[in-house]
Amino acid sequence: MLTPKERLEKVLNHQEVDRPPCICPGGMMNMVTEELMKLCEISFPDAHKNPQQMADLSEAVYKEGCFENYGVPFCMTVEAEEFGADIDMGSNIYEPHVINYNISSVAEWEKLEAIDFSKGRSSTVIDAIKILKAKNTEVPIIGNITGPISTASSIMEPVVFYKELRKNNEKAHEYMTFITKQITEFAIKQIEAGADIIAISDPSGTGEILGPKLFDEFAVKYINQIIAEVKRLGKSSIVHICGQMKNVYKEVNKIESDVLSFDSIVSISEAKKNLGNRLIMGNVSTYTIEFGEMQKIADMTKKCVLDGSDIISPACGLGMKSSLRNVRSMLSALTEGDAKNNA
Amino acid sequence: MFESKEALLKRLSDGVVDMEEEDVIEASKEYIEAGYEAFDGIMQGLVDGMNKASVLYDEEEYFVTDVLLCSDAMYEGLNILRPHLPAEEADKAKVKGVIGVVEGDTHDIGKNLVKIMLETAGFEMIDLGRDVPLDSFVSKAKEVGADFVCLSTLMTTTMGGMKTVVDRLKEEGLRDKIKVLIGGGPISQKYCDTIGADGYSSNAVEAVKLAKKLLVTA
Repeated sequence: MLTPKERLEKVLNHQEVDRPPCICPGGMMNMVTEELMKLCEISFPDAHKNPQQMADLSEAVYKEGCFENYGVPFCMTVEAEEFGADIDMGSNIYEPHVINYNISSVAEWEKLEAIDFSKGRSSTVIDAIKILKAKNTEVPIIGNITGPISTASSIMEPVVFYKELRKNNEKAHEYMTFITKQITEFAIKQIEAGADIIAISDPSGTGEILGPKLFDEFAVKYINQIIAEVKRLGKSSIVHICGQMKNVYKEVNKIESDVLSFDSIVSISEAKKNLGNRLIMGNVSTYTIEFGEMQKIADMTKKCVLDGSDIISPACGLGMKSSLRNVRSMLSALTEGDAKNNA
Repeated sequence: MFESKEALLKRLSDGVVDMEEEDVIEASKEYIEAGYEAFDGIMQGLVDGMNKASVLYDEEEYFVTDVLLCSDAMYEGLNILRPHLPAEEADKAKVKGVIGVVEGDTHDIGKNLVKIMLETAGFEMIDLGRDVPLDSFVSKAKEVGADFVCLSTLMTTTMGGMKTVVDRLKEEGLRDKIKVLIGGGPISQKYCDTIGADGYSSNAVEAVKLAKKLLVTA
């Protein structure tokens, strides 16, 4: 019997496994629910700011049979906050989100300061990873970072940002280079703290918004700079992108991560067809997980396996009101159902 | 010597399609100086260009960033032409809508796109922005006498807020007067039926068709 860590590592090395792992990385791909928080008496927004609570909550996700990994943080505002954006820390049902931007144009990027990883919420995340690492369990630890486009468009008004990619191209590249360097540093710190895998979610860097040319020029280029560092340190990476891929498959295939993850609008079979031998993660509808029946979730999980998904995961962050019974039905469909025979 | 009206209308339209803000500003000024009707300049020039851009978007030749730049050019032109509209055109009552991203969510690119396309189609839109408290949709709609409310969210975590807005409109006895249109990544026709909204559309171009169907009685 493989441990969760061994199974995931084998998949990452393109080796045969008994069944696909079932993970939810964290970050944008939130895996914490209201019911889970009640159960372990830890709540948001505290767990976003306290390393021990962050680690405990992350551990509970595994212990309660939801997913076969640890992952922190539980939001995608850590980087933006470090760069000076104002954050509303949310509640037990709302995720933290940006309420005030720090700069008004890409041309102002020089006003931003380098992240100080010894304080603020970046250090909370790093410390939480250290706590999880010290447990020395056979559960893979996933560190999460917010992708370059999503970070860049959280520090300034996204509409202005998107327009300036064209209108102020040179400055936009300078800004992206600065941001990417900083979040790469964050990824390195997470790896040094004990993260086995780095997941990069860049929902705002979608082909639907950018079109193929800008997607290649700004999303692929800068995401790959982070991946190169993760690889140099001998670790694996997962990249999650939102939206339709059909116009950008060629460009997506240039992303050099070990794993690609898409939201539920992309069918796994279509992704597999277009991306050759790439490892694909996904993509059980989070709508069904929150509002559907357990059987439906199990059926969707099995369909993902049949379609060739290498790693089973929700298609997006979990809705906070999803029931634990429903969340667990993904993993139990793999361990108890007949899906494993088809794997 | 002024350019012909047709030539200027074409420059206005092409300027919008080609995202050339400066060209549109220049052509708008020349158009007014030549004394041509502002209304035609808007409809057959700027709006024509924006409609062409939305066709290109629908055909996936243009993407969101392109449409945003086209709309910038259009709005620059509108700023110049609008003050020259005759009073009866300027004051003409338009179908009014309140639009925003529901509480807890700040993704507003899709909402902005829908707003641009609805304005282009002749609706008057009041934009509440993003992360909008659910009660604000109801109170704003009441205050301005809106004919419809557009709700958007990209997150499963916040979509429940749409139902709350529908329910509050009911409580206020406004549900029959105000149509509710919803959209965004996790939203579907099924969800629309479940919460009792009036319509769902999967993209900005469809949203215009939906609004026309629900609100413009031919």
